[in-house]
Amino acid sequence: MATRMKLKLKTVFVLYFMVSLLGLVYALMQLGQRCDCTEHDMPKDRTISRLRGELHRLQEQIRKSEATKQPQKQATKSSLPTIFVITPTYARLVQKAELIRLSQTFLHVPQLHWIVVEDSPHKTPLVTDLLVKSGLTYTHLHMPTAKDRKLQEGDPSWLKPRGVEQRNEGLRWLREDRRAQPGGDNQQGVVYFADDDNTYSLQIFEEMRGTQRVSVWPVGLVGGMKYERPVVEGGKVVRFHTGWRPSRPFPMDMAGFAVSLKLVLANPEACFDGEAPMGFLESSFLQGLVTMDELEPKAANCSKVLVWHTRTEKPKMKREEALQAQGLGSDPAVEV
Amino acid sequence: MPKRRDIVAIVLIVLPWTLLITVWHQSAITPLLAARKDDSRDGRSNSRNTFAFKESCSVQNRDIVEVVRTEYVYSRPPPWSDYLSTIHVITPTYSRPVQKAELTRLANTLLHVPNLHWILVEDSQRRTSLVSRLLLETGLNYTHLNVETPRNYKVRGDTRDPRIPRGTIQRNLALRWLRETFRVNNSQSGIVYFADDDNTYSLELFEEMRSTQKVSVWPVAFVGGLRYESPKVNKLGKVYGWKTVFDPHRPFAIDMAGFAVNLRLILSKPQAYFKLRGVKGGYQESSLLKELVTLSDLEPKAANCTKVLVWHTRTEKPVLINEGKKGFTDSNVEI
Repeated sequence: MATRMKLKLKTVFVLYFMVSLLGLVYALMQLGQRCDCTEHDMPKDRTISRLRGELHRLQEQIRKSEATKQPQKQATKSSLPTIFVITPTYARLVQKAELIRLSQTFLHVPQLHWIVVEDSPHKTPLVTDLLVKSGLTYTHLHMPTAKDRKLQEGDPSWLKPRGVEQRNEGLRWLREDRRAQPGGDNQQGVVYFADDDNTYSLQIFEEMRGTQRVSVWPVGLVGGMKYERPVVEGGKVVRFHTGWRPSRPFPMDMAGFAVSLKLVLANPEACFDGEAPMGFLESSFLQGLVTMDELEPKAANCSKVLVWHTRTEKPKMKREEALQAQGLGSDPAVEV
Repeated sequence: MPKRRDIVAIVLIVLPWTLLITVWHQSAITPLLAARKDDSRDGRSNSRNTFAFKESCSVQNRDIVEVVRTEYVYSRPPPWSDYLSTIHVITPTYSRPVQKAELTRLANTLLHVPNLHWILVEDSQRRTSLVSRLLLETGLNYTHLNVETPRNYKVRGDTRDPRIPRGTIQRNLALRWLRETFRVNNSQSGIVYFADDDNTYSLELFEEMRSTQKVSVWPVAFVGGLRYESPKVNKLGKVYGWKTVFDPHRPFAIDMAGFAVNLRLILSKPQAYFKLRGVKGGYQESSLLKELVTLSDLEPKAANCTKVLVWHTRTEKPVLINEGKKGFTDSNVEI
């Protein structure tokens, strides 16, 4: 009796042991495979991810609003040479619109430092606020144009050279600021003169970044033609294709060249000459810096147009003026 | 000894069960971890895509994607977010010397706006390679359409004949495209905005219009011969009139750039289009809006219509006198 019981118990044990062993093996096999656990962890997972997404969005909003408080400073020193863009600007109806769309282009360009020089005896709140909100790295300067050089109402735009004092002020600040930086005169950087009504593609900034001395490229819609450009043969500039006074030393538009920072710092006297005859403004600056065969052609050997000399119409204010005569003009407190 | 045997027996019973339980517990967690890792990998690759817009890929695993935005300034366009309504920007354009410049700077602006879909409609017989190439290079989410305005409707030269509204046929084509594309899924949240290629838009404007329920309105600078035109908003935040000099009694005395419409409203009123013929100067916007909404339904934005966030700038026609009769410059160079 006892042995039979024992036997039965033994078999029971053995059976039990086999079953649990099989179960163990099965479980071990399950380890390697993904289980279809969609039912029990999806809802929690979804809420977690949704909340994380919301958190990111809010964090990003905070970051954006913080960026408006101070100009964006790169925490990590980038190895890209900085492009210093000098923009002279003056108060007129379309000024805010022009600067806003210019800043929207610049916001895409890494390592860009915008130097805005107002033609004004003091900094205006319009430009100050705009620059703060832009999110760009900037310097805000001002320099009024001498009264006899200023264009009067009704003067054609080509009568007097514009932006001379402002660009020179930009150069002066740049030289002063960079002299104090480590590296002295050997700093990497490019200086570009960008007027506030032109149109710039993003490629032009990458083209100019590698400037060693002075680089040049075509400019669209200028000089009474579809585009003006330097003519390149054998990788060097041999002459200029322009419809107006091609005998100038550098018959180019302000938007058609960039100068390396090194060259600007090495020639502290080089600046724009306001007394130069019409169309010779660019030449007055470049003459002391470089010769034609030293120019570096960009934009696929000067065959692509990557910047356009657009001009914005002056908005018609007939009705506004009529209203103002009646004392019913639009609210001047609303900034336009 | 029986005691030892008993112990062995007990151990043999307990051991597999404990192993089973521990292994099962672990196996319940690892698939969870594996699943989450996979999805986040998918999400990051998605965010770098510049894909052509497809409405079908809506629900999917996108719910689990985390929107990671780091260097916002240099990632263009911004990654698609599941939490923002799409803004469909309809821009009619036509070929002229400044076209590429205008579209380039407009694209530079739009590249900052998240969840934007640009519908560019050319006034041409065929889609031009200039525009096609430009759109591809920007990396924007876009739809490229074209329809030619019949010759008798075209504006001749520079004369602004108010009886021939420019861009109307192109805008209507875009509306039709929207209605055909989004016919089935009415749950899509989207905003429709008509943006001409020579205006200037602040980035704040796009965020203001994102919350449009029906039709939202705001001031526009440099229109109607004024510094700006704007809707009149009363203390309750409702529009009751228009602060304009030029015909303020129009049903909607507003410029094309001064309003945005919720996509749902466009889809629910499939007969609403811009009127083509017999439209008096300045009444084009009204011809569409009066089919969609009444004055009291308008939502004022831009701090109750006290801030100017869009400017109706116009670009000068460049003087090309030096081109001469035969064209001085190489016509192969695209400007």
